[in-house]
Amino acid sequence: MKKTENNKNPSRAEVWEQEISIYEDIILARQKVKVMMQEMGFSVLAQTRIVTAVSELARNIVIHAGGKGRMSVCEVSKTGKRGGLKCIFEDRGPGIENIEKAMQSGFSTSNSLGLGLSGAKKLCNEFYIESFLGKGTTVTIIEWLP
Amino acid sequence: MASEKKEIAALLSKYQEEILDAWHRQLIVRSNSLMEIIGLTEAKSFTQGILEHFITLFPLAETENDENKSYREIDDLFSDLSGKMTSQNISPSEIAVFIFSMKEAVFPILQKYIDNKDLSGAIISAGRLIDRFAVNTFEIYLNTREKIISEQQRAFMEISVPVVRVWHRIIMIPLIGMLDSERTQLMMEVMLTALEDTQSKVAILDISGIPVVDTLVARHLITAASAAKLMGAECIITGVRSRIAQTLVQLGVDLGDVVTRTTMSDGLQLALELTGQKIGE
Ligand SMILES: Nc1ncnc2c1ncn2[C@@H]1O[C@H](COP(=O)(O)OP(=O)(O)OP(=O)(O)O)[C@@H](O)[C@H]1O
Ligand SMILES: [Mg+2]
Repeated sequence: MKKTENNKNPSRAEVWEQEISIYEDIILARQKVKVMMQEMGFSVLAQTRIVTAVSELARNIVIHAGGKGRMSVCEVSKTGKRGGLKCIFEDRGPGIENIEKAMQSGFSTSNSLGLGLSGAKKLCNEFYIESFLGKGTTVTIIEWLP
Repeated sequence: MASEKKEIAALLSKYQEEILDAWHRQLIVRSNSLMEIIGLTEAKSFTQGILEHFITLFPLAETENDENKSYREIDDLFSDLSGKMTSQNISPSEIAVFIFSMKEAVFPILQKYIDNKDLSGAIISAGRLIDRFAVNTFEIYLNTREKIISEQQRAFMEISVPVVRVWHRIIMIPLIGMLDSERTQLMMEVMLTALEDTQSKVAILDISGIPVVDTLVARHLITAASAAKLMGAECIITGVRSRIAQTLVQLGVDLGDVVTRTTMSDGLQLALELTGQKIGE
């Protein structure tokens, strides 16, 4: 676990970084995101949605990327407007062969429900996924304050 | 340089008693509460051990130290020390003071017996080794703490799954914390055994104590429900708050024919109906 200050905007642009390798890390990641969202004033429903998405994405790192990854969380803002929370899940796993397929609900290579990725996308305002075979996968989600 | 270092080590060895005395005086002044807790006798055994290893390690090239047997021995000593301190709730800063105050005992000896032209070199290398000791102690201290924390976490996870016989032929299992595969396995066993033992027809699984209901939890609940069905029993999931229901719908989770209710009492009401029972007016 590491906490680093972003020098550009020392007033509040704080980045929280955390390794995701075992199940307990998923719990910590969820708790961290929940507390940050509470402090930022997100509704309980928004908190539930995003924490569930975080749970899915962190678990994908543990299960599909051999626990070789990390999550970083920070506050973001649209120029002068509302604030938001950005979470980045970055891993050095095998990567995803066919992103389009992986994003379909019901597709799973692990005999599971196959709803993690497609579900996480539906649960947040913005969702980006990038993956390189043999290199790893990066998923970024953003939720804006209303 | 190497021979000089050897000479310095010999010097420190010669004035060992004097150094230890000065060190203990420092400890009593600067770290009063620590001395009160571990006591002077115990502290002395640590300072003596640390100084002895210091004298052995000091003449060695700095890069060699890690593989050195003496270095491993001193790590053992440090872990003994931080183990004691952790169990006594001694603060990390006091542990730092314990090691760093060694400087105030060693430097005066160097000042007294080493020529001016060699003095700063000697102080720098002695200081460096003491810093290194402090870093090691601190690392070991943190590891000890982390180990304690993860043991506590594991203990928490292993809390067994309780079963409540709420009514004739109705059992209830409150689920708490993280429903990982292991806990689910345990929960299933407990539920199926209890259904059989009590000849119950309905199992209420209450999930209000589960902080996040994601696809994994959903899958486990579906599995539990179908296992109950195979035994001719019905599963009711209670504690499904509206925000959780909404989130599950958005996730795309279809709980199929698993019956859910928002509150325990709604769930119990349904269970009574299913078993053809009524609570007296
Ligand atoms: N970080 C990742 N690295 C490599 N492959 C991944 C990663 N995340 C997802 N995948 C692949 O994409 C598929 C779909 O992921 P998704 O999370 O939607 O479903 P799942 O993890 O298989 O099941 P569920 O999340 O519903 O339990 C996975 O089966 C896996 O093959
Ligand atoms: Mg998944």
